[in-house]
Amino acid sequence: MNVDRGKQCDASINSSVSSSVVAASHELKSPLALIRQLSLSIADNHTPDDEKQKLAEQITLTTERAIRLTNGLTQVSRLQKDFFELEPVNIMRVCQEVTDELFPFFEQYNVSVRVRPRSRSLLALANSDLLKNIIINFIENAVHYSANSKPIEVKMSLIEKGKKVRISIRDYGPTLRKGFWRQLRKQLGSVPQPISSRPMSSGLGLYISGQFAEAMDGRIGMTRHRDGATFYVDIVASQQLALL
Amino acid sequence: MKKHKKIIIVDDDQLFAGLLKRSIDRAGFRGIITANATDAIDAIDDHSPIAIILDVYLPGVNGIALLHELRGHGDLSSIPVILCTNSAQLFDEQTMYAYGIIAVLDKATMLPGDAVSLIKEVCHG
Repeated sequence: MNVDRGKQCDASINSSVSSSVVAASHELKSPLALIRQLSLSIADNHTPDDEKQKLAEQITLTTERAIRLTNGLTQVSRLQKDFFELEPVNIMRVCQEVTDELFPFFEQYNVSVRVRPRSRSLLALANSDLLKNIIINFIENAVHYSANSKPIEVKMSLIEKGKKVRISIRDYGPTLRKGFWRQLRKQLGSVPQPISSRPMSSGLGLYISGQFAEAMDGRIGMTRHRDGATFYVDIVASQQLALL
Repeated sequence: MKKHKKIIIVDDDQLFAGLLKRSIDRAGFRGIITANATDAIDAIDDHSPIAIILDVYLPGVNGIALLHELRGHGDLSSIPVILCTNSAQLFDEQTMYAYGIIAVLDKATMLPGDAVSLIKEVCHG
């Protein structure tokens, strides 16, 4: 009996590891395939020099995206071994740092990102590296999903009577016509579904973000809108807030 | 003025779609990029393309659902579709036939000129 249970447990772990490997390889394949195409295009004699420069910049940005993903995976695998120090973190500053760091990426994709200013600072008990990773994951996802000229919005708020801080990233995707939406929703039940209905996503970025949030006693969530989605992370508000 | 034959590129990866458009335009066609299935339907109605290059994983409605939609319309069902995806291994000949796909390009192994070669084949019947 115990042997059987052990085998079941092994099978479950193997299945989970296998799913993670599949998700990771799928997620990494997109940037790698793009980098390959970009470098082949650079090597093409017909490509003008100024365009080669642009393509080279795209390779850099795409490589950085892939590196961020592998760094995230490495950090997740070390979450239980390592001690991630939690300290009062200025949320507005972290969001600003992230958007500054990703600015070339926004330019490349021709999107704008707006961090909603707050009159008072918000402090959360967090690890700024893990928190940055979560916000970067959400913003990268939003950039990819945004399909119109509305800027992506980064918003910070106090929830649960000031016990927690919520950071939300709202994107505006394609608006579906009512009739078409209904018709496609019916069809979607009868056709093969991708790993995730979100683009270029096996859910790995969300998994990583979820693990990071848990390591900070927080959680992530999402709200679907008719014209996009909001992804958010809730983390414990710092007691130092009371002193502000 | 010469009227270029149009190709609709449905891909949410702007950079990848841009590369495809570049090679298509250079070959004398006109590539039109749409990032999702809804815009693709509008673009197909507006431009009467000679072929569609379609990614599978798209925002909201996936490429397979779009194919279902196209197959449901007599006038659109005859437009040749080339799948261009990172998951080419999921599509066998039977699936391709069922969805009216003429070719599957694997983004990880294709060459920049592959899409244009297929389009030229389509043009020459």
